[in-house]
Amino acid sequence: MSAGDFKMNCGDVGPLLVFLACDEVTAEERAAIEAHLAGCADCRELLSEEGQFQESVSVLPQAADELDRSGTLLAQCRSELAESLDEIAVPAERERWQSFGFVRRWMALRPGWSAAGLLAAGAILGVQLLQWLPTSGSGIKGVAMNVSAAPRVSDDQLARMAVSGINFAPTADAAPGTLQVQLRAEQPVTLSGSLDDTDVRRVLTYVVRNSDRFDAGVRLDCLEALKSRIRDVEIRSALLDAARHDQNPAVRMKALEALRDVVGEHDVRDALLESLNRDSNPGVRVEAVNLLVRSLELESLPQMPEAPEASDSDMPMIAPNAPAVALTGADPSVRRVVRALEELQHSDPNRYVRLRSAAALRQIGPPDVQ
Amino acid sequence: MADNAGRSGGTNAVLATVTSLPELDERSLVIEAQAGNRAAFEELVRRFDRDVLRLALNLMKRPEDARDVYQEAFLKVYRNLHRFRFECSFYTWLYRIVTNVCLDHLRRRQARPEDQAPEIHVNRQEEGTRDFFEFQREHRPALDPERRLMGKEIRSRISKAMERLSPRERVVFEMKHYQGLKLRAIGDALGTTEETVKNSLFRATRKLRQELGELR
Repeated sequence: MSAGDFKMNCGDVGPLLVFLACDEVTAEERAAIEAHLAGCADCRELLSEEGQFQESVSVLPQAADELDRSGTLLAQCRSELAESLDEIAVPAERERWQSFGFVRRWMALRPGWSAAGLLAAGAILGVQLLQWLPTSGSGIKGVAMNVSAAPRVSDDQLARMAVSGINFAPTADAAPGTLQVQLRAEQPVTLSGSLDDTDVRRVLTYVVRNSDRFDAGVRLDCLEALKSRIRDVEIRSALLDAARHDQNPAVRMKALEALRDVVGEHDVRDALLESLNRDSNPGVRVEAVNLLVRSLELESLPQMPEAPEASDSDMPMIAPNAPAVALTGADPSVRRVVRALEELQHSDPNRYVRLRSAAALRQIGPPDVQ
Repeated sequence: MADNAGRSGGTNAVLATVTSLPELDERSLVIEAQAGNRAAFEELVRRFDRDVLRLALNLMKRPEDARDVYQEAFLKVYRNLHRFRFECSFYTWLYRIVTNVCLDHLRRRQARPEDQAPEIHVNRQEEGTRDFFEFQREHRPALDPERRLMGKEIRSRISKAMERLSPRERVVFEMKHYQGLKLRAIGDALGTTEETVKNSLFRATRKLRQELGELR
């Protein structure tokens, strides 16, 4: 159809003006409408009004421009989506254990019977296993060794040993206590001594560094023992290793806690930043935030005229007004901490970590980083 | 979270390890995500989520509703990604899901208005928000006060009138005038014909102009 084929009247043109004004008519329609408009002042007036209306509409500010100017909403949405995706992923793991659901329910309703049943099962299993495991029967009946300067535990023994338990016998004056480390190797051995003993230190740091070989409970005990010697280079290195790489989040967190007194050191701060950015466990990330704040606080203390007052907030370890001094310095590692916290407060998938990071920034940062 | 190089388990492991995800094109990312690579899916989200949130905010006018739409839409995409067969672009498919989620929300809102918080009218001067024409003053010094006043009045009336449109009319009008989409694309997004979209736009425009009344 062309303009010459069909002459439109006002009734035909009226409804099409809406679409002409927003360029949604075909070439044929446009030609026919324009032919009509050339001779019709009323329709030209209507078209002009339609154009004005659409122009008024198009200059209206959009809700998106006003409602998320800072991008906070987008960050929130991303983080919530990540949490939802995590939750979707978790049931797949749970399904494997669903067949045991009835057992759990039964046990929850009958705690007495459950405890008795578990004890009986444990006893039977233990008796049966003892017959088949040659080393376990005599495992803890080791001879006490006198530790001398020369290492008695060889690398080969370390590689093959299993640690069945660690006993603490702290002295009354709180000096480094005596430890008993029970080892299972070719011959069961009980190492007895303090952390001054090279063998004891070697065994404990070896256990901490080899998370795939030892039970998490034993690793936690080792960390507990080692934390009193955190200024020892070898021990600190083992703890940093555990904070970064241990498979168990409780052990990673314990390792971070053990580093509490040396948080001002650069290698420790690097490890904390790594945990902040990479650790999959929110509890560990929060612990890293706490320790980083503490490190800044410690850094700023010498410049403060007086000790900070105790805070009544839920984060007692942070002095509210203290470390802003540290942030004004040119230390690039401090700037990295602030940047990491800023990143975390916007994009960490866990809400508590975001809140904790924001609170930490408020505590430590100058106004422009809040 | 999976790492940035997409080493979390896609089938095309070689592709993912030699090329970082941000460098992959849309199609490769979708294929990786379909194979179960969570990092690839997250990269897709990051590429398009600004537009999605913007559309949701413009249509819903409330941040909390826009957040719900964002969540629901991307979770739908995640769950149904294996059904995507590249018959259209991923963006078009995503847009279709988002607009339909918005439509559902608007319909629910219309059905149960008593449960809803009032919309935020970003253009209302009396609510303390900024006036668009105020920003234009330096660039348009000839603009007379009377016309500015008229502009405010028109905006206020348009906002009120928009609330009276049906969900579909509202979505079509917003997509045409604020997203700048052609009617055919709007039809694609809503899963309907161009003719239906045209009717919705016509009705929406007519209702809005009736609301404007004497200001015409």
